Amino acid sequence: MGDKNSKSDNKYDYGRSEYYYNRELSWLAFNNRVLGEARDKEIPLFERLKFLGITASNLDEFFMVRVASLKDMVNAGYTKKDIAGMTPAEQLEVVNRATHELVGLQYSVYNKSLLPLLAQNGLTMIESHEDLVRKDCAFVDRYFQDYVYPVLTPMAVDSSRPFPLIRNKSLNLGALVSRKTVKSRRHLFNKKSSQGKELEFATVQVPSVLPRIIQLPEAADGTKRVILLEQIIERNMDKLFLNYNIECSFPFRIMRNADFSFDEDETEDLLKEIEKQLKKRQWGQAIRLEVEEGIDRRLLDIIRKELMIDERDIYSIPGPLDLTFLMKMYGLEGFEHLRYSPYTPQPVPEIEPDDDIFERIREQDILLHHPYQTFAPVVDFIKQAAKDPQVLAIKQTLYRVSGNSPIIAALAQAAENGKQVSVLVELKARFDEENNIVWAKKLEQAGCHVIYGLVGLKTHCKITLVVRREEEGIRRYVHLGTGNYNDATAKLYTDLGILTCNEAIGEDATAVFNMLSGYSEPLGWNHLALAPLWLKDRFLYLINREKENAMEKRPAKIVAKMNSLCDPDVIKALYEAASKGVKIQLIVRGICCLRTGVEGTNDNIEVRSIVGNFLEHARIFYFENAGDPELYMASADWMPRNLERRVEILFPVLNADLKEKVWHVLEVQLRDTQKAQFLQADGSYRKIDSRQEGKEKSAVNAQELFCKEYVALAAKKEKEGQQARTFKPEYNQAIQN
Amino acid sequence: MAYKTFAAIDVGSYELAMKIYEISNKNGIKEIDHIRHRIELGTDSYFMGKINNDRVDELCRMLNEFMAIMRSYKVDDYKAYGTSAIRESQNRLILLDQIETWTGIHIDALSNSEQRFLDYKSVASRVKDFQSIIEKSTAFIDIGGGSVQISLFDEDSLVTSQNIRPGVLRMREELARVSYRSYQLEDIVEEMVCDSLDSFREMFVGDKKIQNVILVDDYVSQIVQRNYIKTIKKGQVSTEHFLEFVDSLKKKKAREIAMSLGLAQENIALLHLSALMIKYMIKLLGAEMLWAPGVSLCDGIAYEYAEQNCLLSSDADGMPHDFEQDILDCARDINRRYHSGEYRTREREMIALTIFDSMKEIHGLSRRDRVLLQLAAILGDCGRFISLASVGENSYNIITATEIIGLSHVEREVVASVVKYATEKFDYYHIMDDNASLDKEAYLKIAKLTAIIRLSDGMDLSNRGKCSKLKVVNKNDELVLTVETNADMTLEFGLFDKYASFFAEVYNIKPVLRQKKSNI
Repeated sequence: MGDKNSKSDNKYDYGRSEYYYNRELSWLAFNNRVLGEARDKEIPLFERLKFLGITASNLDEFFMVRVASLKDMVNAGYTKKDIAGMTPAEQLEVVNRATHELVGLQYSVYNKSLLPLLAQNGLTMIESHEDLVRKDCAFVDRYFQDYVYPVLTPMAVDSSRPFPLIRNKSLNLGALVSRKTVKSRRHLFNKKSSQGKELEFATVQVPSVLPRIIQLPEAADGTKRVILLEQIIERNMDKLFLNYNIECSFPFRIMRNADFSFDEDETEDLLKEIEKQLKKRQWGQAIRLEVEEGIDRRLLDIIRKELMIDERDIYSIPGPLDLTFLMKMYGLEGFEHLRYSPYTPQPVPEIEPDDDIFERIREQDILLHHPYQTFAPVVDFIKQAAKDPQVLAIKQTLYRVSGNSPIIAALAQAAENGKQVSVLVELKARFDEENNIVWAKKLEQAGCHVIYGLVGLKTHCKITLVVRREEEGIRRYVHLGTGNYNDATAKLYTDLGILTCNEAIGEDATAVFNMLSGYSEPLGWNHLALAPLWLKDRFLYLINREKENAMEKRPAKIVAKMNSLCDPDVIKALYEAASKGVKIQLIVRGICCLRTGVEGTNDNIEVRSIVGNFLEHARIFYFENAGDPELYMASADWMPRNLERRVEILFPVLNADLKEKVWHVLEVQLRDTQKAQFLQADGSYRKIDSRQEGKEKSAVNAQELFCKEYVALAAKKEKEGQQARTFKPEYNQAIQN
Repeated sequence: MAYKTFAAIDVGSYELAMKIYEISNKNGIKEIDHIRHRIELGTDSYFMGKINNDRVDELCRMLNEFMAIMRSYKVDDYKAYGTSAIRESQNRLILLDQIETWTGIHIDALSNSEQRFLDYKSVASRVKDFQSIIEKSTAFIDIGGGSVQISLFDEDSLVTSQNIRPGVLRMREELARVSYRSYQLEDIVEEMVCDSLDSFREMFVGDKKIQNVILVDDYVSQIVQRNYIKTIKKGQVSTEHFLEFVDSLKKKKAREIAMSLGLAQENIALLHLSALMIKYMIKLLGAEMLWAPGVSLCDGIAYEYAEQNCLLSSDADGMPHDFEQDILDCARDINRRYHSGEYRTREREMIALTIFDSMKEIHGLSRRDRVLLQLAAILGDCGRFISLASVGENSYNIITATEIIGLSHVEREVVASVVKYATEKFDYYHIMDDNASLDKEAYLKIAKLTAIIRLSDGMDLSNRGKCSKLKVVNKNDELVLTVETNADMTLEFGLFDKYASFFAEVYNIKPVLRQKKSNI
């Protein structure tokens, strides 16, 4: 394994920090690219709203995990530099600056571009309750009385009532209130009002159980109008604190450190420990405070002091806090013309709806390309296995599953039908811990053998094994994928999967589950490579093989598509391969710590990022291998966490037809001129300038092209089906002629 | 297609393993699953004499999981064997009973010779080239946790099979008590094994060059099978390349080796010791080719099961090798070592087997018992090497002290007892049952086989080949033994009752000796 700091046989030491980007800044650059979609005038308005909402949601997660982690490091006095040569304190400093800029940009897009456009298109956002007309006031007050008031818990703070727990990510209204009849009590938080009255702090959480966006009755001209829930509450604050005067009230929101850790070796019951830690998440250190621009300084001081938050972690927001509501707004009825027409995932031609899926898999390996193709075959694979009397066992790994998962239901059904069902539910899947605990318990109740995950590792691989006792003996059917077993996200994330009954892969799949069950590693693997034990070495071997081929003047090329690239050993190997002449084309959606234009690499490395309507999620790896190309897919990115701290699987595409199809996926993405943005030597990303590229280069939007191709494929299949049902009359050829 | 699903469990000295197989007439033995759990039972039993309770708990937990896996495959049958760690545990019977109570899994403890024989069967049954390889001089090296078994083949026959201590786990534990530097390891290992290896060479190899080494072990075989050493073909490496590989190990740290070979770091110490042992054996034998078929005891268990239950067609997987002949070859080798006359034993074998075959319906003994009888016939005179008096007692001592590959301890005791009682006064059960390894069934077997051996001895007292033409007929409660010979049978007729009385007592049939003279 390479050491980042060791000298290589190269003229250049590619382990040096100057050849790497900081991963946090690279992530912020990615979120900027998503924000770019919200700014793109070519994109329908409501899609732009959605992208803006996504940037807000992304940023929340970034704070809770990455910024929190940097703060932890700084607080612990940790000074080790990252691959880009920055200490945690230095990183925090630049991240803070960049985040403030990003937030500024978000609200600039919201206020200056999107709100006016919404108004032009017949949707008015009432930004403040003070802008409501009398008729609307009556409506919102009634709404408050009927729906909101019953679920509110207003809390005032005085000597007998301590500062309440402000829940992570919750939206709150903070207020300064004064008693209508002044008593002589004083409290730490008491201030004097301008009239000399003593002020107390009061707060109420905006309930998450109610919709954030409330539609007001339509205006006479048919314009739709909406107001946010916090505005309705703010208007009615006096009803919550009856004996008080409301001096001022403003929304605020906090973000807490949600990155919990515990000693798994010392934990007897992982499930209980995680449940305990989840509760603690609400108490994590506050790391970010968002307040409405113009908040009363006295109110801000109280909140800041109580939450012990730094001035630089306060974000003064020129608009509504928490823009994730825009993702809900995306679904408002009556604006279909402002969205892309919804794409329906197409049927998989190899599998008809009522087919025996096992028979189809026996005929040939089947490639699934989501969301262009439906996820139904994966669900049906489990459903049919659950009912099939010949099936002995079903084994599956689950990382993130949907709210009402048909896969969970099928697994439970299988256990009830007497199959041996083993499921590894990864309880440590970040932000899905609570969901997964619920699923784990449900599966256990149904009689499944549930493994909660492995000590010290997250099981991120996506694999299903169905063991079937057939006439010829035991046969194993395997699904391997790049994305989660989540029927909901399979409509939004681009992923690839393979259904196969290849015996060698079946053997390997059995060995994977044996290892996940705690048994020793197999004596050898046929085709699969697993992290954390073998995968990184395998990747490094494949990259180095290309380097050696290039040195021997044999064809050498790497095309790799992934979500993130930040493993220093892999990046160093890529630089070294490029310096020997290997052409490297990387399609990295998110974080990329590799730089382009690095000295000695002779511009052999090209990095593009595709951010489109679907979330690019597949991991595909192509190695030229001296003219005998090898194609792999994986659940892993080229990140240390994937290669060293997770259970991941790299699997080869063996079938020639499937290889062609998977190569087509890469090839189309490499041709994308619409959504692809290229990493520049200065770290910025730039789209292809069609004017510079020349008119002969036709515009390609990879995601749109895939949609069209799969629709055409399904239509062709349907047409063939119809033709097959048509009688074909025969004529006397002689007469015809 | 009809097939059986079978599970083979190996409770080894550092690993618990289970393999699931499908066995069918058409496809032979096909491995479906292989589950392994590392548990060093040998560390306890080799050095403390007992397996500690925590490890027993862990073993039971894992066996319960194995049971669940067996249910999931709906296995038709299973067989579980314990090897040296179980065998050497002083409280073996209590331990095995406990395991059966807690898990429902019955484990039989294998003797070393049975275990090695199964390993050997697994190689012979799984590998098509086996027959052609052993036609050349070949050493079969089976490295276990407690000991190493070396068997020599020449021209398709087993020449000898010897057990040498220590095995890799035992060696690792012994080394743990020695303070040494890493560069000294090779020399220390050499010191530990070379004395036994030199004796082996002197006694059994001489100047002969052993061309091939067939290896059964848990670590080096993996490396060879996974092509980490340049292979000639799957599983075969030149000894030159192998020795280069062993040399490369000493330059690396355990972590580096683990990373480069894709092994768990905890296995590296045992890999290294295994590799060093093989290195010294290769050097000692002068072998040119190392062949590691990557089979395990479980494969042998499955083969044995398939064989016993007639699940394989005669041509399935091509099984030309005669394993019973190996056991007999091994016995003949012992005879040679003790300078016992081959001609005499051949005659005795023939008479005993003719009698045995003619009274199948009466004795109710099995084909395996026939092999035991033949072994007793072969080994009957080996005690003469010590003294011409008390040949029975001396032979008994030699046989019980010698490992005969393929025999369990009980079977070896049966053979030795038959040899002993062929000439000594028969001890009835109340005396014989002092020997804890013999139960009533074994006792009766000894009695029945002794009766046949005594009778056959009585038919050619001077060992002059008088009975080369023998016909045996069982009729009217008499066993008529007709010898076609012109030799003088006066002595045999005169003393026949002395040798036949025990037969009559055991079978309640009167043996009658008749002579038919040939026309001159």
